[in-house]
Amino acid sequence: MSWTAKPRVGSAAGAATAPSKPGPAPAAPPAANHRVSNGLKEFLWLIGDIPKGRVLDLGPVWQSTVSFFVDKGFRLSSEDILRAWKDFLTSEEEKLRTAAVGEGNGRLSPSALADKFLQNALDYPEKSFHGVLAWDLFDYFDAEAAPRLVDRLTSLVHPGGAVLALFHSRPAERFHRYRIVDAQTVELLPASTIAVHSRVFQNREILDLFEKFRSSKSFVGRDQVREALFVK
Amino acid sequence: MLATQLGIHPRSQEAFMWRKPTEVQPSSQPYASPNPSPSRSEEVPKSSSFQPQGQQTPSASSLSASPSSAPVSSNVSKISSGLKIQGDVSGSADLYIDGDVTGKIRLSNARVTIGPNGHVQAEIEARDIVVDGSVQGNLKAGESARFGSSSRVVGSVVSPRIGIDDGARLRGKIETVRAPQPSKSSPVEASSESDDLSPVASGVKSE
Repeated sequence: MSWTAKPRVGSAAGAATAPSKPGPAPAAPPAANHRVSNGLKEFLWLIGDIPKGRVLDLGPVWQSTVSFFVDKGFRLSSEDILRAWKDFLTSEEEKLRTAAVGEGNGRLSPSALADKFLQNALDYPEKSFHGVLAWDLFDYFDAEAAPRLVDRLTSLVHPGGAVLALFHSRPAERFHRYRIVDAQTVELLPASTIAVHSRVFQNREILDLFEKFRSSKSFVGRDQVREALFVK
Repeated sequence: MLATQLGIHPRSQEAFMWRKPTEVQPSSQPYASPNPSPSRSEEVPKSSSFQPQGQQTPSASSLSASPSSAPVSSNVSKISSGLKIQGDVSGSADLYIDGDVTGKIRLSNARVTIGPNGHVQAEIEARDIVVDGSVQGNLKAGESARFGSSSRVVGSVVSPRIGIDDGARLRGKIETVRAPQPSKSSPVEASSESDDLSPVASGVKSE
């Protein structure tokens, strides 16, 4: 895949409020738990001039993130997919434990679990969103669920829309949640672990995972977290 | 070493627990829920601030949550914990729900508060909506919608101002619309558009 020019979707009505053209971020020292995100900056540049753009945040809902997008005229949808996945797995384990012997409720395969999960998760019409903030959730889904999740996201993203995802180059020391501080800064919020870091994606694996997207671009931060941006 | 020196009663062999002096709880908790729900496993910073009810912020899209979701006015109807109501609710009085409600709630000129024990499966339309419990259904507020840290919402939210505490769980679309102007003749809201992306709509049957 190769990075292509920014797709121009819609009019330039929102150009005045669109973030500046991406480039190296200023060298202002960020706060300890703040992370300068060139991926976010580029993401906003891609979707910034779409009037009434729709964004899907796959992390927990935060006031700052909501305000950030709403103030820019976006419509934000929020679905904490990792927590939903955990709740789903817990529910399945509970069903399995309480099922009587011989009832036929055998343990589902990982692929069947993923399919069952996606029957109720991310239940939106196709091409609903111009941007998706996936954060680092793919690091926490198993090898069966992650591709299915990407497939679903592919169908949800409008042509020309973008997905921002983070990939750790080594297992994360702490589980973090993310919220937007400003157009190029993300705050990392330490949280109790709700999912175990599943795998470290190599570059080729990342590209294969998002092979249905027509272009990609990635940034590697000092913390060795790769920010990858995919355009459909 | 003697058992008594260890704080162990020589006969019962039970350890005495010296009561620690009462620790002063930090008063920085921004949200004083009248009946707080069990703490969430997730650590979240308590960074949100609150403002007096009714105070308008310059940025109309966001709003801080209220200091308390408990009914403060005498003109408040209350559905207490343990009560279950199925059907449509309409009127003009404020409503505090700490029980279970299934149906449709339409209090366009009033405030609807879902307490920490409240479980609502309904579409809610009100002037102000405050959620500390769980709601499954679409919410439409004329002035403000506020979600406390213990709130669990599945559904779309449409409101001129939205306040979300850290720890709130919300699955669905969030949209702010311009507050209806009393002098204007066209109170059309942006939510009237048909592209509702709420993932919950199929799960709520209000009729």
